[in-house]
Amino acid sequence: MIPRSRQWHFFDSLWHHLFGFERPDSRGQRIFRRLFEAFIAGASVWLAWYWGRYTLRISDIVLELGFARYIDISFMHGNALPIWNAWAITGLIILGFLRIDRWIPLGRWAYMAAMLLLTLQYAARFVLGEIPHSSNLVGMGLMGFALAELQFKDRVAGGRFAIGFSYFFIGLGYTSAAASKLIARGFAWADGRHLWMWINEKAVDEVARSGSVELNWVQQLALDHWWIATAFLAFGLITEALAWLVWYSGTRYVAMWAVFGLHMGIWVTMDILFALSVYEILLLGLPWAAIIDRLWPEKGLAAN
Amino acid sequence: MSLNPHTNNARTTLLGVLIVYALTVAINLGEFWPFSIYPMFSQAGNPWSRAIIREVQPEDSLSWNALPLADVPGQPYGVRNGGVDPIDLANFVSKTAIWNQDRVAALSLMLLADPPKEPLRLMVYRVQARLTEQDSIAMTAMPYVVVGTDLPPDTKHLNPELRP
Repeated sequence: MIPRSRQWHFFDSLWHHLFGFERPDSRGQRIFRRLFEAFIAGASVWLAWYWGRYTLRISDIVLELGFARYIDISFMHGNALPIWNAWAITGLIILGFLRIDRWIPLGRWAYMAAMLLLTLQYAARFVLGEIPHSSNLVGMGLMGFALAELQFKDRVAGGRFAIGFSYFFIGLGYTSAAASKLIARGFAWADGRHLWMWINEKAVDEVARSGSVELNWVQQLALDHWWIATAFLAFGLITEALAWLVWYSGTRYVAMWAVFGLHMGIWVTMDILFALSVYEILLLGLPWAAIIDRLWPEKGLAAN
Repeated sequence: MSLNPHTNNARTTLLGVLIVYALTVAINLGEFWPFSIYPMFSQAGNPWSRAIIREVQPEDSLSWNALPLADVPGQPYGVRNGGVDPIDLANFVSKTAIWNQDRVAALSLMLLADPPKEPLRLMVYRVQARLTEQDSIAMTAMPYVVVGTDLPPDTKHLNPELRP
């Protein structure tokens, strides 16, 4: 038998760390899987309504994204379709979450149908030029559960796949963001003067939003000391570059908390809070299953 | 050594998603939600463009000249009053290449979809900033357009330099 190469062992190890299909199931894992799914389902419904209600005020298209590049998305504007779409997404997500698949022709496609309608909702909402990424983690989370329903008959394996899928794309997304910065500017990206530009940019946004702005002490500190601004950016860049470490269970939680720190840093220095992403990072950033098993062990099973 | 069948399934599914991900972002300018590339903030130090709003009165004489941000006249107006995202406003202003009647009407609808009881006129400014050689940030504001509850949307309320 030809021994598997070192590369293949690397990938075998990666799949094991991401999905852990071989691990015995436990009460903590069951609760955490449903808790994470409930978060993704709830956040998706929230986005459907938030985007749907906002779309009612849109009457012209500045920039087409996604589906809007292939179909005339203006059919979603100037009428109540975004609201009907939000109702449809809500219904489909409830069907998916409650596993009502035996009595309806949709079968296990409920989450995937919701995913496609939510993509349409996004395309109708974001035609004004803004290209936000604040909802991408939730979107990928929903896709993970949609694929789990379609690709895994065994729902324990499906749930594990969905969670590993989210970890994978969190690691990939942040690491690729670091790569973009290094390709564009090299290590000079972390020059503190760049943070000065962004602090002022977001201050102007705040004036546009509320009519006034007052810089906080962290922003003032960064504006007063170039080296502090540079340190902030360097921390962010290093954190993003090492975000792929969330793929491995040994480094996962340290890396997740570093990403959480990155978001807190972005919040205090640039006043940008990706709330849904932060909640998801908090949910995935602690070993909740092991904590539950420790606090509430199943009879006959030793706590992890 | 054979992989667990679930692992095989997960690996194939993940690979399929990665291929679709790469293809969709490659042919859609990097964006096909929830698939994206993440180059935001990569162009560090580049000039930027945003937008702000000031309330104006019907009797005010309007100047269409650019001026330093600190010298912009009028009462600041926050778009949160109308539930508008300021980034939408900034992108609407900076990414509009041709300011026609429809575009002015769309901006008016966005800002005044929930009109206040009192008449309201708003001057929208585009703010542009750059890093100077002295390591300071120069910010200028250019008046773009006036919209109002008592003002039918029209290109004649645009900065003359923008009129089609």
